[in-house]
Amino acid sequence: MTLVTRHARPVIAAALVLTLFNLLVFAAGEAPWRALVTGLEGSLGTAYGLGQVLYKATSLAIAGAAFQVAYRAGLFNVGIEGQIALAALAAGVVGARLGWAPAWIAVPVAGGAAVGVAAGWAALAGWLRVRFGAHEVITTILQNRLADALLPLALAHGLGETGVRTRDVAASAAIPRLSVLSHALAGSAASFAVLLALVTPWLIDRWERRAKVGREVGLVGLGPEACRAAGVPVSSRLLVALTLSGAVAGLTACGAVLGYKGHYELGMTTGVGFAGIAVGLLGRGTPLGLLAAALLVGALQQTGLVLNATVPKEATDVLFGAVILAVATTGRREVTR
Amino acid sequence: MRIEARGLTKRYGDVVALDDVSAQLTEGRITALLGENGAGKSTLLRLLAGLSAPTSGELVLDGVARARVSPAEARRLGIGVVHQHFSLVPSFDGLKNLMLGDEPVGPLGVLRPGALLARAERVMRDVGLEVDLGLPAEALSVGERQRLEILRVLVRGATTLLFDEPTATQTRAEAARLYAVMRRLADDGATVAVVTHHLDEVSAHADEVVVLRRGARVFAGEARGLTTDELARLALGAAPPPVSRPPPPVDAPVVLALDALGAGRLVDVSLEVRRGEIVGVAGVDGNGQDELVELIAGLAAPARGRLSLDGAPLDGLDVAARRSRGLGVVHGDRHALGIVAGASVHDNLVLGELGGDEAARARQRLVASGASPARLDVPISALSGGNQQKVVLARALGRPLRALVVAHPTRGVDAAAAAALRARLAEVALAGCAVLLVSADLAELRALSHRLVVLCRGRVTAALPPDVDEAELGRAMLGGAAA
Repeated sequence: MTLVTRHARPVIAAALVLTLFNLLVFAAGEAPWRALVTGLEGSLGTAYGLGQVLYKATSLAIAGAAFQVAYRAGLFNVGIEGQIALAALAAGVVGARLGWAPAWIAVPVAGGAAVGVAAGWAALAGWLRVRFGAHEVITTILQNRLADALLPLALAHGLGETGVRTRDVAASAAIPRLSVLSHALAGSAASFAVLLALVTPWLIDRWERRAKVGREVGLVGLGPEACRAAGVPVSSRLLVALTLSGAVAGLTACGAVLGYKGHYELGMTTGVGFAGIAVGLLGRGTPLGLLAAALLVGALQQTGLVLNATVPKEATDVLFGAVILAVATTGRREVTR
Repeated sequence: MRIEARGLTKRYGDVVALDDVSAQLTEGRITALLGENGAGKSTLLRLLAGLSAPTSGELVLDGVARARVSPAEARRLGIGVVHQHFSLVPSFDGLKNLMLGDEPVGPLGVLRPGALLARAERVMRDVGLEVDLGLPAEALSVGERQRLEILRVLVRGATTLLFDEPTATQTRAEAARLYAVMRRLADDGATVAVVTHHLDEVSAHADEVVVLRRGARVFAGEARGLTTDELARLALGAAPPPVSRPPPPVDAPVVLALDALGAGRLVDVSLEVRRGEIVGVAGVDGNGQDELVELIAGLAAPARGRLSLDGAPLDGLDVAARRSRGLGVVHGDRHALGIVAGASVHDNLVLGELGGDEAARARQRLVASGASPARLDVPISALSGGNQQKVVLARALGRPLRALVVAHPTRGVDAAAAAALRARLAEVALAGCAVLLVSADLAELRALSHRLVVLCRGRVTAALPPDVDEAELGRAMLGGAAA
């Protein structure tokens, strides 16, 4: 492959994606270029739109980091979706009972509940893997279905205000919105949980590079047999990786429940976990890559919502798929044996 | 077909794998490509087969010069490669493996294996290859699997056969059989090239030889009349010093003791290795050697028997605990159990012992290993097999050792690196470590060991002195078994 074609590939990919988008818009009966401009204005062109993109990117970056933690160990955590949902319920339920506590207690306790529940839920899959050899892809998919069934059950039997949502969390357990910084962001869902999205991938990266256990997790992912032969506790490292992956997934709930809605309702986090897997794969194992991927996907989703009135939101889903394919193919290195 | 390489150079990043090499392969002749690990033999073979493109230089195929040849073109021109690592589907029988990727189909896409089977049988008859095409590949021995690979290449019409280290893990008898097949192919007019680092094979079987050293061609010409000593000087530059066995320990206490140890294929193995002693375990591969090493290492639990180090039982202790008692293990399967291929040399040097004064330990071990390039930050996969093995051994030797168990330390390793590795083992024993050496290389066992035990069908069937007659040792290894 020559230098020219190597550098031309991302450009070609971007051009193809844009063309596809315009075709979809045209098919929906709208003026192609205008729709794109409207969509971009609505997502990146206004302070409110930017706030919405930040809100979405916050969840996506954390969910992507959760995926990467497991992926490093050679584990494919498909259960992030369910882990986030259970964590969101936990944040809502615990957050609503913290009226007595000041914010410096209430926020960490509600967030900790979310993290703990999600970590425990993921650890179950990890235990099944190391104890019985049950593959985590299968078990986490099944756990997602289980979570789907458990959530309405829990809300209907004691944990919910109604059958579909929890009570509102205490004011002290809420994470302040970014709109306190600027009135331009008024009404936007972005909160200070965005700091979690900045810090989490970076902390995980440090842990994987510097800490003994973190490095062993990565080495186990590269060569489990050699690690076992060298005395690395492979089972324990796999368990740690999947549990931590779940814990990070649980953090995602903070932005949604404590930073935005103020309660948990059914379906509130739907899709975040799965989009997070895509973000985790697009991010290519670096914190900056993860943030860039989260912003890209977040902007795409927001653009879809802006255009929803005229162009079906599904058009942006198609676009999302196309972007993933484009990034995956342009980033492919020349295969050498 | 006549293949000529003119001034081939191949660079990977800033590493020059092959530097301005010219060579030719002729019909009816066997050309050996000889050199140490990392000398560029396999790279040259890959360029000749169109599997990778040269950075500069050209190939002349039947008089037509080309800057690059695609794998498909190479195949159309009748160039076939028999790779070192087989590409057979284990559960498929021989015929299915022959068909895979080139299925003979009728009008409606229905498989028509009949004609292919007939062709395969004709080729087998002509060339003298015997493979049972009805058995799944996993049921075949290594030699049979290799013959199946060769058959696959031939059935697809190859007239130029390139063998990449075909004898790396074979016994001498198997290798001789393979060269007989090559000779018949060459006599029928095929062009045959074989990559090897076994000097004796070149002087015994090749017509021509191309000797590479560090990517450069140092010799090309008739192989007849060249002695192994002359070839060694060409390939290595200078002959490595012979390994001298350390003096046998006198009245040394027993360090490593196996008492009626058994699990799986292994039946009641009792062994004692004394301080400073090297005990060699001889045997045909697959007679319980892997199980023995895994039991001692703590990777598998014994079903019966006891294991002790310095009189204290090791049973129930895990790998790390055994290591801290002073047990070092180097497994035979370097790729699966020795190294983490995707990790750096640094991480591989301290695998399982991260933390603490890790950086200092890694540096110290790197220096002691003698691996080249002497760099910690490169991925270990960038090192040649011999250098990877030096890293693995340096990790095992990097702490105070009471006993060392090593399996096949020089398998697939070139002569210079093998000599260095053997010298390290002798040093370790001299320093008082008890060494259990499992190897399929009889010359190595005889040169290093103070005494030999023979493992056959999971049992220790004989205990012999190292200077035992080779025929007697061979009989003991086969143990009168039909295998």
